[in-house]
Amino acid sequence: MSRLLKFNIFRYNPEDTLSSPHMEEFVLEETDAMTLFIALNRIREEQDPSLQFDFCCRAGICGSCGMVINGRPGLACHTKTKDLPGEITLLPLPVFKLVGDLSVDTGSWFREMYTKTESWIHTDKEFDADALEERMDNKVAVGIYELERCVECGCCISACGTARLREDFLGAAALNRVARFLIDPRDQRTDSDYYEIIGNDMGIFGCMGLLACEDVCPKHLPLQNQLGFLRRKMGITSLKRIFRK
Amino acid sequence: MSISYAPAGRTGKWDGAMDWVQMLSGAGLILFMWCHMILVSSVVISPAVMDAIAEFFEATGMAQVGGPLVFLLFLTHFVLAARKIPFGFDGQKTIWQHARMLRHGDTWLWVVQAVSAMIILIMGSIHMWVVLTDLPITAIKSAERIQSGFWAVFYLILLPLVEVHVGIGLYRIAVKWGFIKDKERARFKRGENILTLVFIGIGLITLIRFLFLSVN
Amino acid sequence: MQTIYTDLLVVGAGLAGERAAVEAADAGFSAICLSLVPARRSHSSAAQGGMQASLGNSVMGEGDCPDVHFADTVKGSDWGCDQEVARLFADAAPIEMRRLAHWGVPWNRVVPGKSIYFKGGKQFEKIEKEEKEGLIMARSFGGTAKWRTCYTSDGTGHAVMCTMDNRCAQMGVEVHDKTEAIALIHDGETCSGVVARCLRNGELRVYLAKAVMIASGGFGRIYPNTTNAVICDGGAHAMCVETGLVPMGNMEAVQFHPTGIVPTDILVTEGCRGDGGTLLDVNEKRFMDIYEPDKAELASRDVVSRWMTHHMREGHGVKSPYGEHLWLDIRHLGEEHITGKLREVYEICTSFLGVNPVHQLIPVRPTQHYSMGGVRTNKDGAAYGLKGLFSAGEAACWDMHGFNRLGGNSLAETVVAGGIVGRKIAEYLEGCETIFQTALISDAVKHQQARIDALVKCTNGSENVYKVRAAMQDALNKWANIFRTQEGLEKCVASLQDTLVRARNVGLRSDGKGVNPELAAALKLEGQVKLALMVAYGALTRTESRGSHNREDFPARNDRDWLTRTLAYWKSADDTLPTLEYEPATAVVEIPPGDRGYGKSEIISADDKKE
Ligand SMILES: Cc1cc2nc3c(=O)[nH]c(=O)nc-3n(C[C@H](O)[C@H](O)[C@H](O)COP(=O)(O)OP(=O)(O)OC[C@H]3O[C@@H](n4cnc5c(N)ncnc54)[C@H](O)[C@@H]3O)c2cc1C
Ligand code: HEM
Ligand code: HEM
Ligand code: SF4
Ligand code: F3S
Ligand code: FES
Repeated sequence: MSRLLKFNIFRYNPEDTLSSPHMEEFVLEETDAMTLFIALNRIREEQDPSLQFDFCCRAGICGSCGMVINGRPGLACHTKTKDLPGEITLLPLPVFKLVGDLSVDTGSWFREMYTKTESWIHTDKEFDADALEERMDNKVAVGIYELERCVECGCCISACGTARLREDFLGAAALNRVARFLIDPRDQRTDSDYYEIIGNDMGIFGCMGLLACEDVCPKHLPLQNQLGFLRRKMGITSLKRIFRK
Repeated sequence: MSISYAPAGRTGKWDGAMDWVQMLSGAGLILFMWCHMILVSSVVISPAVMDAIAEFFEATGMAQVGGPLVFLLFLTHFVLAARKIPFGFDGQKTIWQHARMLRHGDTWLWVVQAVSAMIILIMGSIHMWVVLTDLPITAIKSAERIQSGFWAVFYLILLPLVEVHVGIGLYRIAVKWGFIKDKERARFKRGENILTLVFIGIGLITLIRFLFLSVN
Repeated sequence: MQTIYTDLLVVGAGLAGERAAVEAADAGFSAICLSLVPARRSHSSAAQGGMQASLGNSVMGEGDCPDVHFADTVKGSDWGCDQEVARLFADAAPIEMRRLAHWGVPWNRVVPGKSIYFKGGKQFEKIEKEEKEGLIMARSFGGTAKWRTCYTSDGTGHAVMCTMDNRCAQMGVEVHDKTEAIALIHDGETCSGVVARCLRNGELRVYLAKAVMIASGGFGRIYPNTTNAVICDGGAHAMCVETGLVPMGNMEAVQFHPTGIVPTDILVTEGCRGDGGTLLDVNEKRFMDIYEPDKAELASRDVVSRWMTHHMREGHGVKSPYGEHLWLDIRHLGEEHITGKLREVYEICTSFLGVNPVHQLIPVRPTQHYSMGGVRTNKDGAAYGLKGLFSAGEAACWDMHGFNRLGGNSLAETVVAGGIVGRKIAEYLEGCETIFQTALISDAVKHQQARIDALVKCTNGSENVYKVRAAMQDALNKWANIFRTQEGLEKCVASLQDTLVRARNVGLRSDGKGVNPELAAALKLEGQVKLALMVAYGALTRTESRGSHNREDFPARNDRDWLTRTLAYWKSADDTLPTLEYEPATAVVEIPPGDRGYGKSEIISADDKKE
């Protein structure tokens, strides 16, 4: 016997003047190996074709489908209904701008983040097509990849009390991004350069150690360790900067 | 969407320093509270020990100078930490709603920390004022105060709040600065909770001892 | 109406699109990429395995060079590719990998010394050379003579996509995400932009550009079971087909990947087999070593998928509520390897299947995976039929893959082709003057608005979008799958023609306000059915078996009659079938058609002249 799942879904279409934010209930019969991806698509195809939500890879690797599932931000596509109670409440991710229903605009937020953190390798070396690649220790490469695994789903931002309180807080994903470049030997930026970006209360010193980021990150990035690493690094840099002047 | 952090020209030259001071003031207060506990709880062993310790502080002038310094530390810590607390109505609404939605332990801990802080600010100040304007410290004077009833209730409220705030504070410093890594976090947190309970226990025993200390 | 002007407009912000945009930006031109999703969510980021380039740093890749890579590619394509293009590709790939390293990709590097690896479930040892320490490492992949696949753990596409998108941010290439191109603006000769629909508010917007590039990836979603993301729906292809001028090349060449998991069709990487994973049947016995004694599990995808289907038909499949499947076994690789190098695989299995691959078998079956076909271009990436229109990546039929692409070759193609075509576009822009005709633009917009209004008001009927779409997918799945026959394909075409009529009568059930996902699906449905017809009709007409196109009734590869590329046009709006034309597969012949060395099959040689 399969369960009847009750979905409470946030509905609001900002483009429709008649629409106002409210919760709507949908009932669906659970099937084997059902994920929220399957469930939401069925609701859209069978019950309400105007329901908005975002999926792309539906394999937990692109980060499109972040939403608040029974209170916790997570990836809907790799949430199995059998791990959830019979009543499921779905809300769009807070902090990001709402597009409609469960869909939010993470793209603009992250694009701005790239610009602000200058999320690219800073080097004055030119690429030489005829030369061998620069050597790198495999351990270093693996360490960088470990941080590069972020899929920009935005869950860590939405789960962070600090980010919700202060619009200007960078958030774990951005701080992790800076850490990724900081440990990359190809990037020639100095600690002091990084301090300009994150050495303030909008950056690493704003983080209050709530660790919801660490606990919700669907890719299990080592955010706690990175934030600690950055705080120490930037803390020391701040002292150096004060005493050098 | 509108994020506009680190606007051009705005470097957080002092933000790093303030974070240090916030942490160090917290750590200092923790150290102080531990010393404070040694002083006050020594009454459990014998009022004479407590008097002896108190006298030592008195004689070396540490109480007269140290007392106000602790008060200063207390204020410094408050001013710095309070930067992070939302005092506006919207902020309050957001953080409570967020904590309720998320049902996430560490987020709740922060809320507890901030709420306890506000009460500690008031009660701690009163307490320090009372004790520091009535030097020297002796076991008998303390016992008299506590046996008055009002102070017993006062400490019964302040004690757990302080210990909880201190416990969370220590945990928070450890994770924020990365002294505790992700793998050790759960164990550290358990240890920290136990420590907090032990401290509250010692404090309660101390209070009971004061209650039954014969004043004459 | 918002109108945005740029030198180069790229439809698609995957690897191919962003790579080309960077090249144009490097040359001083403004470039904008449109994308349905934020750039990094493009399907390129889903590629786990790696990219082929003959760097030859690993001992297992010693002696590798562009020539060997070229030969593998041509054989892989079953001689269906354009050899000039394959040569361009093989030569440029190593440089491109190094460039990516320079830009920031954390490639895995050579660690000198002894290490073990698995092949066919057996353990072997290799010793990496001291002098190669720290150079880009490679792994083994299907259909290659050497270890040639550069990788970053098993998130290669993701890591490269991040780096490319970073590069775009650095170079000032704009990405307008949540923006869907729905029609090309052209005057019958030159393409001058697109009409796009904003997926933040549903409004139409005009993009004008001197050059337009289609880099929209594959169109796997016209099949029901596909490893492709939900955005790989062929919308941009449909937009090109709609012009009536731009042909699609080799649409019948559809690749099926051997290891899509059951039931969700998520891909587990070829790296599983490359690293020594084996395929087992219902009795948990290996079978690929019987069919392909030499390459076994590592034969090219078309071959493995075909043998798997064959083996299941012989009654060796595992029955399940979701149909038959086989097993993939990686248990012997050990926990460290599986949770390290194959971590994404581990995560997919545990979180979508509830299977722990360290101790359990993974249910797999061949699943639609890659579209070799697409917008036909010349070797410069310029589309046939319209000036100022370019294409690269999976969207294009540039044609280095012919009838079967090798694992790791398409991710490499995206950056190599992106670079080459990007440079050609920059050259084109150099000498380009354009006059934008306002009447043309407003007509294009009016036409799209009219389509939207008709859908919202159900002017043409009230067919259900999702049901019609399902009918299309079903037809392809039944009859244009791994094995194909005349009879099946005839049914397929007939059924799709019927679906086409229904697609024209679709009407919305919702109000169509704002972003409205139903409207988005409805707008591209007719075009998708046309693409499906190009696949089915092309397959029906091609009476041979080549690469991934397998006709049971014509099992031989026929080099005498079919060493050709299919060009499918939709010449007139009310046609019910595409118009097929053919061109020689390759003008330059470096390697004449021969035996691939795997996938035993008959060959009708080009020399067997017809009487
Ligand atoms: C699961 C999986 C694993 C793979 N693994 C490998 C591998 O290991 N090695 C390998 O070589 N290849 C692999 N491939 C194939 C390879 O990933 C793709 O062929 C390649 O990434 C395609 O890149 P692209 O840049 O052409 O398109 P994509 O990365 O798919 O990008 C398409 C872009 O176009 C945009 N777009 C589409 N339609 C529109 C529209 N109408 N308007 C605006 N924008 C639009 C999308 O938003 C997206 O930005 C794999 C494929 C899959 C499905
Ligand atoms: C005036 C009363 C107090 C207020 C308003 C207050 C407030 C706060 C707040 C809001 C924080 C969290 C700061 C952050 O996360 O960044 C905090 C942290 C802390 N508090 Fe207090 N507190 C008070 C008194 C005390 C006392 C008396 C002690 C010790 C006995 C103490 C010890 C700590 C410690 C150790 C921390 C952690 C410091 C850090 O995270 O950097 N606090 N306090
Ligand atoms: C220099 C400053 C301080 C001095 C000299 C001091 C001294 C004392 C003394 C003598 C007592 C015994 C009870 C009494 O006499 O009333 C006491 C108890 C107590 N003090 Fe303080 N105190 C100081 C600061 C603080 C601070 C900053 C806090 C916390 C905010 C605090 C919290 C308490 C508590 C909770 C008790 C009850 C102890 C128990 O039951 O074990 N004190 N203090
Ligand atoms: S750090 Fe984790 S939670 Fe945050 S955006 Fe990246 S993947 Fe998502
Ligand atoms: S939840 Fe927020 S406060 Fe810091 S530890 Fe994570 S960023
Ligand atoms: S859809 Fe890609 S992560 Fe969920």
